[in-house]
Amino acid sequence: MIQLINLTKQYRQITAVDHLHLTVRKGARLAFLGPNGAGKTTTIKMMAGVLRPTAGRIIINGHDLAVSPAAVKQCIGFIPDRPYMYEKLTGLEFLHFVAGLYGLDRTSLLQRRMEELLSLFELEQWKDELIESYSHGMKQRLVMCAALVHQPKVLIVDEPMVGLDPKGARLVKDLFREQASKGTTLFMSTHSLEVAEEVCEEIAIIQAGRIIASGTPEELRKQAGIDGKLEDVFLRLTQEVGIAGPV
Amino acid sequence: MQALFELIRPRVLGLKNRMTRSAGSGRKRILIMGGLGAAFCAGIFLGSCRVLRYIQSVEMIGDLLARQLLSMVLLTFFSLLVVSSIITALSNLYLSKDLELCHAMPVSVETIFISRTVYTLADSSWMVLIFGVPVFLAYGYVYRPDPVFYLSLLHMNLAMAVIACFIGIFVTMVLVHVFPAQRTRDIILLLSILMVVALYLLFRLLRPERLVNPEAFFTVAQYVSALKAPDSPYLPTHWVAETLWGQLMGGDGRGHWFDMVLTWSTAGSAVVINVWFARRLYFQGFSKSQEAKKRRAGGARLLDLVIGCATRPLRKDLAAVIGKDLRVFFRDNTQWSQLLLLGALVVVYLYNFSVLPLDKSPIRLDFLQNQLAFLNMGLAGFVLSAICARFVFTAVSAEGEAYWIIRTAPLTLKRYLWGKYLFFVVPILVLAEFLTIATNRLLEVTPFMMVLSSVTIGLMVFGIVALGIGVGARYPRFNHENISQVATGFGGFLYMVVSSLFIGMVIILEAGPVYILFMAGVRGSVVSPLEWLYIILSFGAALAVNAAAVFWPMRIGLKSLQGYE
Repeated sequence: MIQLINLTKQYRQITAVDHLHLTVRKGARLAFLGPNGAGKTTTIKMMAGVLRPTAGRIIINGHDLAVSPAAVKQCIGFIPDRPYMYEKLTGLEFLHFVAGLYGLDRTSLLQRRMEELLSLFELEQWKDELIESYSHGMKQRLVMCAALVHQPKVLIVDEPMVGLDPKGARLVKDLFREQASKGTTLFMSTHSLEVAEEVCEEIAIIQAGRIIASGTPEELRKQAGIDGKLEDVFLRLTQEVGIAGPV
Repeated sequence: MQALFELIRPRVLGLKNRMTRSAGSGRKRILIMGGLGAAFCAGIFLGSCRVLRYIQSVEMIGDLLARQLLSMVLLTFFSLLVVSSIITALSNLYLSKDLELCHAMPVSVETIFISRTVYTLADSSWMVLIFGVPVFLAYGYVYRPDPVFYLSLLHMNLAMAVIACFIGIFVTMVLVHVFPAQRTRDIILLLSILMVVALYLLFRLLRPERLVNPEAFFTVAQYVSALKAPDSPYLPTHWVAETLWGQLMGGDGRGHWFDMVLTWSTAGSAVVINVWFARRLYFQGFSKSQEAKKRRAGGARLLDLVIGCATRPLRKDLAAVIGKDLRVFFRDNTQWSQLLLLGALVVVYLYNFSVLPLDKSPIRLDFLQNQLAFLNMGLAGFVLSAICARFVFTAVSAEGEAYWIIRTAPLTLKRYLWGKYLFFVVPILVLAEFLTIATNRLLEVTPFMMVLSSVTIGLMVFGIVALGIGVGARYPRFNHENISQVATGFGGFLYMVVSSLFIGMVIILEAGPVYILFMAGVRGSVVSPLEWLYIILSFGAALAVNAAAVFWPMRIGLKSLQGYE
């Protein structure tokens, strides 16, 4: 479902993503972990079509992003780490705007889906308020509604829990699991190891632009030689590479 | 004092870093802007010298006119400084993103207030400085005063800028204190725009050009009183004008110590009064401005109806983008209120043509009318470019930080850019035709000129709008605080230059053929085959330039936006 082949991104002299290879199968939930500045957001932005790779290919749902960007974007839902939106639109108008961009007809079915999403994210009573009056967490929830409105086959999420209260965080975790059970592929970047372990079945760790370890939490524990918390596993793996350099 | 310097330091360091650490293209930009700025100043200096020499040569009242011109220049700058200070004070004192951090620091409110007034003084007066220095230097060049004049020029203008700045800040503080918190920003911006519109209309409708035409007044007394109209002894500009004029007339300034002391003591008092008021009002106002913004969207049904009609012929993705643009435009008071400025511009534009003294010209009336109509195409084109710089050039940057939504949507950037183009081309075309046809009717031009100018301006609109979208996409700025800042940057300036060049090229290409055809009509002579060939080639070249102005900038803009990171 998602294939990153030899993906590279250079900013002048700095290589943010360095010949990255990664495959995520259909319906899988992958957590993308790494220390600050490891290349997580750059990778995610390339997958969402916001950044152009210096080299390599991104294949999503059988389409190459460089060849058919519209086909790829049609099947993904992107949730960025910072929920910038059009502040002068109301929540419902924003959802209609996004639906329009994805070419969805203004049917009663679409209207019902929007109402369901707004209700799920507890934004129903705010739907006719301007976005500029929303809190950070409410904006984050609205972005999630917008990402789901066209029923994407792949969800690409960058730091989903930023700004969410515990109730919102629980809702999002449950939602991601539910989406995956319906066949949606999840690619989620996070700093929270707890969230990664709770939501995802697979983990990939990136450091200095390269994948240094990937697999199920158990496989990572074996790789690190630690039978404890994921935090210790992460620290061991990233520390080893930090000393020895990427492998 | 240490805290004050620390609060001002980030701005100084930011400026220094921008100058020293900018990459190759950034440095080139600074050099180009600096060079063009210097050329502009030189142009103002030369123009002012010429005007002053001409005025000086007018018998009896030459010096009186020059003195009056100085007063008018100072009064204009003072008014501009006050209005500009109101707007910049709002941003520097209440809306800047770094204010939260400053207020959380262990520094007094007065220190924060003073540091922000320094920002406001610098931000509001640099533009006036660029326009003002060459004018004042021209006075020095023409009247050859004592060197002490230049010292007075420096400190008296500084004192005047301080007074204007503190008036602006005081007005802003009171407005923020009085109006409901959620509406403060919108109300102040709206009031500022209304003030600019009123000043502009008032100034134009007073017909200042009559001052150089004494025949327009019935008596000498009426003329002299008209010359003295804007000068009041209670205005700081009067004190500055008195001091500078005294030195220009050969004094060393000692005779005007009273005006100097008055100006500086007023400036000092303004500072003390403002700091005193700031202790009571500033933090209260800042706290109010942080409260929740407006929640409800007004006029949603009417807007839905308008958007429904406007986007009906479009596909869903473009309809979504254009519908969003319309909603944002009409809900953002800083945007739609600029239509008031546009309205004032159109009124004054048409008014200028209605008061043209054509009957007093020594040139043949029909020739003059048609010549003016021809040149009016260039002028109208320039006015349209200025409007497009504000609305069309900023169309891509207007997405702001939400641009990621467009980038991640299955809408190609090519469709997106052409969609924006289509959105703007229709209203700009209507405005262009209205301006051209209305002015042509006021000029009573021939049917040939009416058709030619309507078609030419109509075709030019396609190029002017495409240049706006294309250059705007080439130089986007998504991280702006206020969209009107985007138009005044390097890209906006470049757009005005390129657009003016385009208009100039079309006008030059059409000038020859129009002259031949018009003169043949006047003389009743026949146009030779060689002349016809020249006419066809020239009009063909003008069409080619129009086509290039549509497709070339759109292609460059698209390529640039595709590579934008």
